[in-house]
Amino acid sequence: MVAQRVRDFRLDLAGLAVLVPLLLVPFLVRSPLYLSLTHQTVVGIIAAMGVYIMLRMNLLPFTVPAFMAIGGYAAAMLSVWGGMTNLLVLMTASFVIPMLVAVPLGILVLRLKGTYFIFFTFILNEILQVAIFETPSLTGGSDGIAGVPPATLLGIEFGTPSLLLLVTIISGLVAGLVTLVVTHVYRAEFASIEENETLAESLGLAVWWYRSIGFVFSAGVSGLAGFAMVHMLTAAHPSSFASFSAINYVAYAFVGGRGTLLGPIVGAAVLVILSNLFSSQGLYSAALFGLLLMVVVMAAPGGLVGEIRRLVSWRPTGGRLQPLTQERARGKHG
Amino acid sequence: MNGLISTGLIGLSLGAQYAMIAIGFTLIFGIMGVINFMHGGAYVLGGYLAFTLYHSLGVPFAVAIALAVIAVAAFGYVLEVLLVDKYVNDHLATMLITLGANLILITGVIVVWGAEPVDYRFPIPGSFRAGGFYFPYSSAIVLAVCATSIAGMYYLIFRTRYGIALRAMADNRMVATAQGIRPSRMFPLAFALAMGLAALTGAMVTPILALEPNLGESQLLKAFIVVILGGLGSVGGATIAAFIVGMVEAYSSVYLGGSKGSLVLFGIVLLLLLVRPSGLMGTEARKA
Repeated sequence: MVAQRVRDFRLDLAGLAVLVPLLLVPFLVRSPLYLSLTHQTVVGIIAAMGVYIMLRMNLLPFTVPAFMAIGGYAAAMLSVWGGMTNLLVLMTASFVIPMLVAVPLGILVLRLKGTYFIFFTFILNEILQVAIFETPSLTGGSDGIAGVPPATLLGIEFGTPSLLLLVTIISGLVAGLVTLVVTHVYRAEFASIEENETLAESLGLAVWWYRSIGFVFSAGVSGLAGFAMVHMLTAAHPSSFASFSAINYVAYAFVGGRGTLLGPIVGAAVLVILSNLFSSQGLYSAALFGLLLMVVVMAAPGGLVGEIRRLVSWRPTGGRLQPLTQERARGKHG
Repeated sequence: MNGLISTGLIGLSLGAQYAMIAIGFTLIFGIMGVINFMHGGAYVLGGYLAFTLYHSLGVPFAVAIALAVIAVAAFGYVLEVLLVDKYVNDHLATMLITLGANLILITGVIVVWGAEPVDYRFPIPGSFRAGGFYFPYSSAIVLAVCATSIAGMYYLIFRTRYGIALRAMADNRMVATAQGIRPSRMFPLAFALAMGLAALTGAMVTPILALEPNLGESQLLKAFIVVILGGLGSVGGATIAAFIVGMVEAYSSVYLGGSKGSLVLFGIVLLLLLVRPSGLMGTEARKA
């Protein structure tokens, strides 16, 4: 068990480690195509981490676009109307404001059991979209907020394409660090909720408390993704946060593997790059997504990372590498 | 006053449509514990198949609809056997599988019929007028068909042996299986039934509204709202909630305009979740 924990932690660290070299990309790459691809990948990674935190408790959140929108709009409003361009302030705002929104929402939502939770988080995105459209004086309505100025820090203005990307990557690193810390500080609690919520509760674990912590941090991480997106596009627009993009983020986390932090990172990178490769035949990229999702769930329930781990594992059974889902999936019709 | 009645009739037919969609959706969940993300896809596919049969192949409207429903139901049956059956106890897995399958289905629809809306028209134009209010014949026919189907579903679920077996499965799968009810026979049929109902709705309603590949999303979202309101797995709750949603939508779009209606609806959902997290008729959510 201890060895397992150490290996899990190594893979989580590896996830963070693969993000660090990305810091070089803005300085080495000039092609706008690759800069944009890196940006999309990192935003996808951050959003997938928002999903991952909740998945550690076996809750499937579709809230990511909603909290992305809150974080992104918060940063856009601060910089466009408040004139605040300090990078640290903007990042903090886009992280903390979604968290604050998540607290009352969590009280409402987390009372719901698994399936209701899924439905309701789905509808939440729709509610937010309507709210944006209905408050044009505050959010710009269907026009969004355009002309978001580049962030500044210590006299540097992050205005060139490379420096815009740098901000995205820094957001990614911060989000990764937050995710790593949250999932490790509360590792035991999250794991017991994931495996058997009823048992965890009857052993005295305040399940609602840890769920709320996860929910709030998932909101904060999603907010960072929204900030990165708004900052790079220099505009906050409702179409960036469409409800059904939640499916993509869930797919990233699942295809990569929900077992370790490396999973969502690999999943987001693979799927974003693949869908860009397929973008010449735009309409097939949705089908590709669907196919990958089905194949991974059916053939490799641990996701890409889980499956690779299983293959390279030195123990014949691979220890407890597959998530619980595979064991359940094997028993046909209970 | 006349406006009030006309709007009420519109609300009634909207409610009937939503009920058709939500009953199938909640049935699948109640019996199998599966959240079927293909449900919206079945609605769209039903619409397109009926469109092709009726407009391109010249099959009579009623026959076209019947054939489309049978085709989609058969498709649902096969899908359940091939994709869902093996993973039926894992609701995250089945959800993601149906989600993936739906993406493929919609891509298929776009490849075959194109991304633009197609011109699918109801064969009977005109509307019924009396005094100051009027009601399109097409809506009246849809309302009648939906009402009959819903009644049929109720008969099936609550009066026939198959329905009793289905409800037994929903109540307690282990006990039902021990009584000799076979899941491998019941589940695909339930899936076919639910997707057939969605296809019937799609084939009937899209000629009145519009037919385009991405309709499924909004239908699924409607089903989510109805099911949350009515209580997951409850057929009666879904029916009542569907009519509430239909009425709210009709009246708010006439008297409040535009997206205010959705705000009202969302407000109702939020309020209900505060007061009764398990919906109008829901019992404690199942631990699927």
